[in-house]
Amino acid sequence: MIYVVLFFLAFSLVLYVLLAGADFGAGIVELFSSKENQAITKKTVYRVMGPVWEANHIWIIIMIVILWVAFPIYYNILVVSLHIPLTLMLLGITLRGVAFVFRHYDAYKDKSQVLYDWMFKTASLVTPIFLGITFGAIISGEIIHTISITDYNFKELYIDSWFNIFSILTGLFFASLCAFLSAVLLIGEAASINRKIYVKKATIATLVVVTIGSLTMLYGYFNQVPFVLTFTSNVYAIIAIILSALFLIPLWISIRGGHRILSRIFAGIQVLLILVAALTPHFPNILFTTQGSISILQGVAPESVIHTLGITLLIGGGVILPGLFHLLKSFKMIKILERN
Amino acid sequence: MENLDAARLQMAFTLIFHIVFACVGMVMPFFMVVAHKKWLNTRNPIYLTLTKSWQKGVAIFFVTGAVSGTALSFELGLLWPEFMKHAGPIIGMPFSLEGAAFFVEAIALGFYLYGWNKIPEKFHWITGIIVGISGVASGILVVSANGWMNAPSGFDYINGEFLNIDPIKALFNPAWFTQALHMTLAAFTATGFAVAGVHAYQIFKKRNIELHKKAFKIAITFGAIAAILQPLSGDLSAKDIAERQPVKLAAMEAHYDTSTGAPLYIGGIVNNETQEVSYKIEIPKALSFLAFGDFDAEVKGLNDFPKDEHPNVAIVHYAFQTMVGIGTLLMLAGILFLITLSRKRTWFNSPKFWLLFIILAPMGFIALEAGWIVTEVGRQPWIIHHIMKTKDAVTPVPGIVYSFYMYVVLYSILTIAVTWLMSRQIKALNNTKNMEA
Repeated sequence: MIYVVLFFLAFSLVLYVLLAGADFGAGIVELFSSKENQAITKKTVYRVMGPVWEANHIWIIIMIVILWVAFPIYYNILVVSLHIPLTLMLLGITLRGVAFVFRHYDAYKDKSQVLYDWMFKTASLVTPIFLGITFGAIISGEIIHTISITDYNFKELYIDSWFNIFSILTGLFFASLCAFLSAVLLIGEAASINRKIYVKKATIATLVVVTIGSLTMLYGYFNQVPFVLTFTSNVYAIIAIILSALFLIPLWISIRGGHRILSRIFAGIQVLLILVAALTPHFPNILFTTQGSISILQGVAPESVIHTLGITLLIGGGVILPGLFHLLKSFKMIKILERN
Repeated sequence: MENLDAARLQMAFTLIFHIVFACVGMVMPFFMVVAHKKWLNTRNPIYLTLTKSWQKGVAIFFVTGAVSGTALSFELGLLWPEFMKHAGPIIGMPFSLEGAAFFVEAIALGFYLYGWNKIPEKFHWITGIIVGISGVASGILVVSANGWMNAPSGFDYINGEFLNIDPIKALFNPAWFTQALHMTLAAFTATGFAVAGVHAYQIFKKRNIELHKKAFKIAITFGAIAAILQPLSGDLSAKDIAERQPVKLAAMEAHYDTSTGAPLYIGGIVNNETQEVSYKIEIPKALSFLAFGDFDAEVKGLNDFPKDEHPNVAIVHYAFQTMVGIGTLLMLAGILFLITLSRKRTWFNSPKFWLLFIILAPMGFIALEAGWIVTEVGRQPWIIHHIMKTKDAVTPVPGIVYSFYMYVVLYSILTIAVTWLMSRQIKALNNTKNMEA
């Protein structure tokens, strides 16, 4: 059953990165658009995301619940050490969520839209940065895990773990990844006259992602970030990286050519490869502290808990996934599913 | 401010905020589907206009409830890491089911909001029902997790360790049913009266009267029925608490000395030093009867328990009085409404009638929050009743007070923003003509 639970954890993570990522990215794309294009993006995103928007963001709640139910010790270290970035991320999620509804549900479309748009765009950039910083902190090896917290000061315990160059680079990397996903998604969803805008955006985003990604890895390599060191000596990670590099070529071609389906598939492959490369070489040690890595399975909940959780997830998944798919299909939100 | 106090304040503040939004988001879909059904049956365009304006309210409240709920799901761990480390696996069942129910709700809401003229009429209406049912299910599941904190079960506590965990037994803990029933009825009462009050105000101001009268009737019917049923559920809760958490009951009634045939205090000012309650109304033997169904039953007083296990008596007592007082008032108002129906609506023409319901609009939520204060402050000093104290669960991260301030500013702005947005919805509603079929 533990594998069912781990599967759902990974599954929620992938879907959250893809779906919420594309959603965060929409705000970032809007932020870096001319005024005219902003309006086009806003409209397209609302059509694509509107009905599923809330569902996209529930994946993170599912992840959190799985973490605390099944992996309480692991979760405990995260919420204590990374209290500050997590709180800032929540602030972003809150502002972004309300800004999204306000701008589409306000009965009057007047000057207040400017404020909602500004709130939405800023929060769209800040939230994934803090999400990325949190993930970067988990793997940067700066988290202090100790029982005698009095030996350390506030800065060492609660700031240095995440406010470091590697984590911040990871944060920027994730934000650029979101923008990339969104731009690629919009290639397929925008009206054909607007497709050129997103081809251009996706091209720039791809370059930014690759640049920041390489910078992050290089920085980690030369500064002995333990995650990167073990990562570069692991066969699976290297294969994933090489594949990812190779797949950049068809990705590039499909984006430049404005291929609606292919670009999306190759973008998805990139995200999957990045996650595989980041998570599998160390599994189950997905937490790096100053004293070495900690396994997610350390202090895993007892069998009775894992068993009921696994069954709940299977039943829940059985209800939710078909519903979600039906929702996507009913509203023709995935334009590529249409014949013509 | 101490970290523990700041963490408790932050938790209280964010919950007080979330509860309002979650309740409206949970109950309003029912009003919406009733109006929708009436539109389908009568094809009276007023009902369509009403349904569509209520659905906007649902969408706004749903998202505000969802984001504040997301924040809370993190706050549980961020503020109370020691609690979650041990309790997380045990109460995982209600939370994971709640996650699933919430997901179903979000999907159904997606269908509902965007389904007009796109999906079959009947299916569209049913998705609205699913929104309501899964919302109530989410609420019940979360309350069950809270019930577990009051009545921990489904594990053996041996030498400071939680062994032999049975998540299903923890889900169906002894407190879940009474608490969930009380909370669900409270949510319907509070939302019913709040929504009805808003529409009563519009009628009072003579704006779009026909529509607002229809809206008022739907909302107040739910509110009135729930308010009339609520005392029965309250009685179940009181008897349950008398047995399981006698300290809480004693604090609710500011009952210091154990006695048989204990009187019930209504109102009064509590002096915890002298252990006296002044300016109260005393009903002989009523407490014994309400708690145990026997006028001569013994009711344990606070002095029978160690002083460091007492909650803040004054807060719990005042909150309890507020809840019961308003609850009674709303029940009477509910009865009044039902009488009005049988009186062939003559009272519907009286401005005084509408004024009454305008005044009552916020009352349900005040009572509901007071009720949560009774159960949460009354549980102190325990975070898990008789197992773990709140002070042992709080995060070691210092400076929580700043996070508390951040939430106060953020949620205050949100409250103002949502209120403003709703007033704009109503204004727009009054300015547009009813939709054509």
